[in-house]
Amino acid sequence: MRARLARFAVSAAVIGAALLAWELAVRFGYLKPYQFPPASRIARGFVELSTTGFPTGVSIWSHTLVTIGRVLQGYLAALVLAIPLGLLIGALPFLDRLTAPVVVFCRSIATLSLLPLVIVWFGAGELTKIVLIAYGCFWTMLSNVIAGVRYVDPMLIRAARSFGVAGIELYRTVVLPAALPRIFAGARMALGVGFMVIVGAEMIGTIEGLGALIMEARTFYRSEITMIGMLVIGMLGFAISSGLAGLERLLLPWSGSLDEVRR
Amino acid sequence: MAPRAHLALRRPEWSRGEHPVVNVPFIEISSVRKSFPARGGGAVSVLSGIDLAIAENEFVSLVGRSGCGKTTLLNIIAGLEAASGGSVAIAGRPVTGPGQGQGVVFQQHALFPWLAAVDNVGFGFRNAGLSKRQRRARSMELLRLVGLQAAATKYPRELSGGMQQRVSIARALALDPQILLMDEPFGALDELTRIELQQELLRIWQARRKTVVFVTHSINEALILSDRIVLLAANPGRIKRIFEVGMERPRSRTAPSFNALYEDIWNELSS
Repeated sequence: MRARLARFAVSAAVIGAALLAWELAVRFGYLKPYQFPPASRIARGFVELSTTGFPTGVSIWSHTLVTIGRVLQGYLAALVLAIPLGLLIGALPFLDRLTAPVVVFCRSIATLSLLPLVIVWFGAGELTKIVLIAYGCFWTMLSNVIAGVRYVDPMLIRAARSFGVAGIELYRTVVLPAALPRIFAGARMALGVGFMVIVGAEMIGTIEGLGALIMEARTFYRSEITMIGMLVIGMLGFAISSGLAGLERLLLPWSGSLDEVRR
Repeated sequence: MAPRAHLALRRPEWSRGEHPVVNVPFIEISSVRKSFPARGGGAVSVLSGIDLAIAENEFVSLVGRSGCGKTTLLNIIAGLEAASGGSVAIAGRPVTGPGQGQGVVFQQHALFPWLAAVDNVGFGFRNAGLSKRQRRARSMELLRLVGLQAAATKYPRELSGGMQQRVSIARALALDPQILLMDEPFGALDELTRIELQQELLRIWQARRKTVVFVTHSINEALILSDRIVLLAANPGRIKRIFEVGMERPRSRTAPSFNALYEDIWNELSS
């Protein structure tokens, strides 16, 4: 306990010293404030963002809520489509062989490169943003669900077969539960993708959302606001990912995978 | 030791009233071969011309180097793999799949990680037409047999390797199989746990009268446990020689006869 406290104090001191050095470097003119906004400026920017808002009238809270709403809609749409489809493809080897090239191909296309096309198809409104997020999350989720179902430890399959369990019963009682940790890992990864796509998706046709905030700040050389946008996205991603990890620990208490890889 | 009549009552239906006649082998393996298609055409022969008769209640070990096909042979007896030729019969009935009286204990990590110990054992009763309560009661009984009733609600990852293999044995015993097929079940355990489980297995084998086919890398283990040791050679897998152990149990690892036989097997294995 004491050692942990000491470690915490040391890291706090290091971070504090770095921030102080940064602050002083800007004050004495070694760094330009619009390139490297110091902590004091970021703090002032945060006060402005949470009161008057930036652009005026849109506070950091509504930016955040709008972004969360968009990410969740796209993310959930992706899960709803990818999980059943992945369970089906994973169950049928011939279907997996057939679709594997498509999955790898689509997964490899950077989601944002689709932006121009998606605008042509769906306009520059909400739907476009949600479709982009859903696209990014979908392929990550799909390939993880397929992999989870396909690569079940053959020893478990043999054990179940030795009791005469086969076919759909085998899938339901062994393959599905065995695939759950991988499916959860896929859900966490897909969420990360969603937050990565959001900034690009919000670059067009909106002044609301953290992505829009970041782009708008660029126009006015308000680097500290860009940094606040990044920080909030980072914290959101972290919080939701921890929430998912907690959910996994609750639903899959038997799986030790989280103890081994904390992600 | 439990009386035979009592056990016969608990046998699954398929075997009822089918006690093997004297001199008819209980497990009869005749000219079994197994080959896989090779890369670039042709076939790799894993087993060729295996003939082996195993008596009821006999404890037989299969010993040999990696690649001699001992696990494949076990899988064929278990009905988990089909032979490319020849046949295996249990009590006169050709083996066409699992569930003909074979219980299998696998190497390691064959417990379902999402099921607590008691439910892993209960998995064995899936298709036995028992109520949930009966299943649980039977599973607890089997856990008690392997000395693990206290760990019933633990998940496999919370159990040591030795405890996991005890649960595996309990699970394999679920349907009271006449045959216990064991695929290097103690191979990954430390020496002390291994000796403990060997004793445990002998106790269960003697109390429940099973026919055991036991695959192992360890000559020592085979000598402690078996009535007969079947030495397999590789490329293609075939029976090289069969050793009768014929020593009283419990056996001493330091007895001269033990060491002499060890020497014989070792010489045969390395020649």
